[in-house]
Formats: sequence, structure tokens, C-alpha cells
Amino acid sequence: MAHIVLDKASVALAVYNSRGRALKSEILRRTVGGGLQNDRDSSVQVIRALNAVSFEARDGDRIGLVGGNGAGKTTLLRVLSRVYPPTSGTATIEGRISSLIDLSMGMDTDASGYDNIEMRSIMLGLNHKQAQAIVPDVEEFSQLGEFLSLPIRTYSSGMMLRLAFAVSTAVHPDILILDEVIGVGDAAFAERAEKRLHGMIQKASIMFLASHDNASIQRFCNRTLWMKGGTLMMDGAPEEVLAAYAADGRV
Amino acid sequence: MGLVAGGVADVVGGFGAWRMWWMLAKNDVIRRYRRSRVGQLWLTLSMAVMIFGMGGIYASLFGTSMADYLPHLGTGLVLWGLMSQTINESCSSFTDNDSIIRQVALPRFTYLLRTIARNLFIFAHNLIILPVLFLVTGTVIDWHILLFVPGLLLVLANLAWIGYLLAILSARFRDIPQIVASIVQVAFFVSPVVFKPSQLRGDHPVLILNPFASMLDVMREPLVGHLPSATSYLILLGLLVVGWLVALAFSGKYSHRVVYWL
Repeated sequence: MAHIVLDKASVALAVYNSRGRALKSEILRRTVGGGLQNDRDSSVQVIRALNAVSFEARDGDRIGLVGGNGAGKTTLLRVLSRVYPPTSGTATIEGRISSLIDLSMGMDTDASGYDNIEMRSIMLGLNHKQAQAIVPDVEEFSQLGEFLSLPIRTYSSGMMLRLAFAVSTAVHPDILILDEVIGVGDAAFAERAEKRLHGMIQKASIMFLASHDNASIQRFCNRTLWMKGGTLMMDGAPEEVLAAYAADGRV
Repeated sequence: MGLVAGGVADVVGGFGAWRMWWMLAKNDVIRRYRRSRVGQLWLTLSMAVMIFGMGGIYASLFGTSMADYLPHLGTGLVLWGLMSQTINESCSSFTDNDSIIRQVALPRFTYLLRTIARNLFIFAHNLIILPVLFLVTGTVIDWHILLFVPGLLLVLANLAWIGYLLAILSARFRDIPQIVASIVQVAFFVSPVVFKPSQLRGDHPVLILNPFASMLDVMREPLVGHLPSATSYLILLGLLVVGWLVALAFSGKYSHRVVYWL
């Protein structure tokens, strides 16, 4: 049902400073050349966030993603959710995707909890009827009760997280992309959240989970990718990859 | 040609995601009503005050009667509001939606449609002024008003390609919105919003070379019971074809890069 093939997919991000973002300086650079500007002050820096990554994922794959900060995990997740088109190489992604990279995406703080459930559902690709259908499920899981009729600016950050998590996990995609979302909220909620994620992971065809917590990788995943400096270092069973990753960290 | 096809796919996909932009645009307007009962109508009210205030002064400056001048200025300001706001806000169509763009893979044109739809809702609010104005000044509305809708659609289709180009450019160059705002400000004074086209020669460059003059013509004249000039239609149709070809090719080349610029 779902199928993913990455073939030498690379992402080169151009990072502009304020000078590189101005049309004025771009015109100056093109017309006057280097004459007026200091050549060392490069206003554009290119970062290779992903370097020729190739792998294939099929139905049933539960893939963990490990690597230090800045290793390209989130960039890879964005490529997998079709948000970043590779700047070279190809990424073929078949299946309906839901990504929980930023839980609070598109929340309107002045709107009520119920309004936000509907807005967020539509962003996740549901129609009006389907959005109405998930309301009872969200009510039950978030346990926010009467707070759902209040504007969400009155919520604490924990309550906001509960609502966002409840809505985002109420839809069942073919490909599920998670970025460090396990273990949200207070202890009681974290436990229920994990149970719900487990159910969701089981229903999805392919799951990606980026995490710094080796225990959750071992519990949820049957395959693990290790990223370092934008390059895919290793692809294999969680135990082997985690061992190699840990060994690399010690050196 | 391949580039244009890429642009077409983006635009068609944007219309396909109508649930998304319709919901977002609706919410943009609802948000203004949330903290106050009058909501968006506050701005409509202030526009009405401006029309009557400016009307009194300019009618005597130009030496015409209020009954003759007010419908011209009223329609002009309301329509100019739609055009200038849509162009100015198109610049931030992508930069304002960055958190959504970075998480959901939707066609870029979706976000432009949000801007256009929002401004149409606001325009509908401001339109309320006109019947009142026509009643007060005794302006007669006749069958010409049927031409208003095709005129509005022609203008919107033109604003869409302008906004599409500006949205992509503004994501890359962050000083474009300020530049555009200044140009739109200047355009206000060289377009027949305050003055009447008949106060100039018919072939004055301000009326021929300034597309805003044509846009005003095809929307305003039907409202006040006149026929827009054929030249205005020809100019807008020509711009529509050329502009969309440029915008589609540009989008085909650059729209997939937008996410990296945010």
C-alpha cells in the first residue's frame, strides 16, 4: 500500500543572512560585482543537510532514526513528508502521510478547542464530516472536558499539547512520521499517549520515529537508520545500529 | 513548456485544496469578530467616513456636486481597497504560512487563494457602503451592473498572477513587500480613484499604461450605470495571458524552492 524509495536524495539548504535576503544587495552584487562588497562577507552559505541518502521502505517497516543534533534527522523526515523536495536525487513516496513534527501547527489561539479540532483536521486532509466524526474521540482522549469550548489561549502548554496530540493522532495515515513526540505531558498522560501511539503505529503501513531515546526505538522499531552529518551511516536491525551508534559516540 | 506545466499543476492543485484555503480565509475574518461584535465592520465604517469626508473636499476642489462626485469616489475607494490589499498581502502569502508549509505538502497556490479569498470576504463587507451611497446621491443602477461580475473576475484573475509572482519573490527577498507597498501607494495617486478619467485626455498615458486604471474601469463603470471602454478589456485580457504565462513558468522553476527560503 505504502512504498518509499529514496535514490541518492540530497538536500542543499541555502542559508541567507539579512544581507542575502535583500533584493537591494542582490542587485548591487550583480551589477557592481565584488567591487563594493567585501568578498569574505558571504551572504549565502550552503549547507548539505542531506547527502545522497538511498534506502527503500515497504509495508510493515517501523523505522527508527538515530543521530546527534544536526545530523539531518528532521531534514530527512521533511523529505519523507514531501515537504522538502530533494535538491538532487529522487524521492518517490506513495501513500497518505501524517507527520507529527510540529504539534502546534496551525492552531489559532483565539479560537475555541472545538474550532481548532476542525481546523487542524482539515489541515490533515479530512473533510467537514470526517472532522466532526473525530470530535468524540478527541474529547475522550484529551480529557479537556468543558475547556474545549474556551479559546485555547486560556490553556496551559500541557493542555495545548494534549489537544494537538489528540487531534493529530485521531487520523490514520499510511505513513506516519514522528519526531520526538513520545513522552509528552504529565506522567498519566504520557502513558495513555504511548498506548495511543502504539495503536496508531500498528495501523500505519510505514512508520518513522526520530528519537534520542534508545528504549523507545527498541520498543517500537524493527529497523533503524543512523544519520551522521547528513549521511546515512548504517541501516539495519535496531540492536546492531544502536550498538554501532553508541560505539561511535564513545570514540 | 515543462516549466509552465509545473506551474499549472501547482495552480490546479491549489484549487483542489479548496477546503484548506476556504477554512483559513473564513477563520481570518471570524477572528476579527471574536474580540468585538462589530468586527470587520469597523474598517468598513472607517472607509465610509473617509468616503464622505474626502467627498466633501474634493467635490468642491473639482467644482462638481456631491451627488455627481460621491458615487465615483465611493466606488473608487472600495475597489481600490480590494486591489491594493490583495497585492500587498500576497507578498506575505508564503511567509505568513511558513509553519504550515514546513509541515504539510500542499500546492503553493493554496496559500495565495487564502489571501485572495480573505480579501474577497472583506470586500463583501465594504460593498455594503455602495447601495447606501447610491441611495443618498440618487444614482440610478441599470442593466450595466450585470457587467460587474465578469469585470471583477477579470481583475481577480489578473491580481492572482501578480500576487503569485510577488509571493514567490517575497519569500526569497524580504524587502519586496516594502517596495511593493511604496509602488501601490504611488499607483493610488496616478490611478483614477480620486480624480475622474474624463478630467484627462482619453488617450492620456496614465489611463493606457496604468493597468490599475483599466481594472477600475471594468469594475466601476458597470456599478454607476456606464459601459466600460473596450480598451480596458483588451488591456486586461492581454495582461492576463502574458502575466499568467510568466507567472506559471516562474512558479514551475522556483515554487519548489520556496520551502527552503522560509
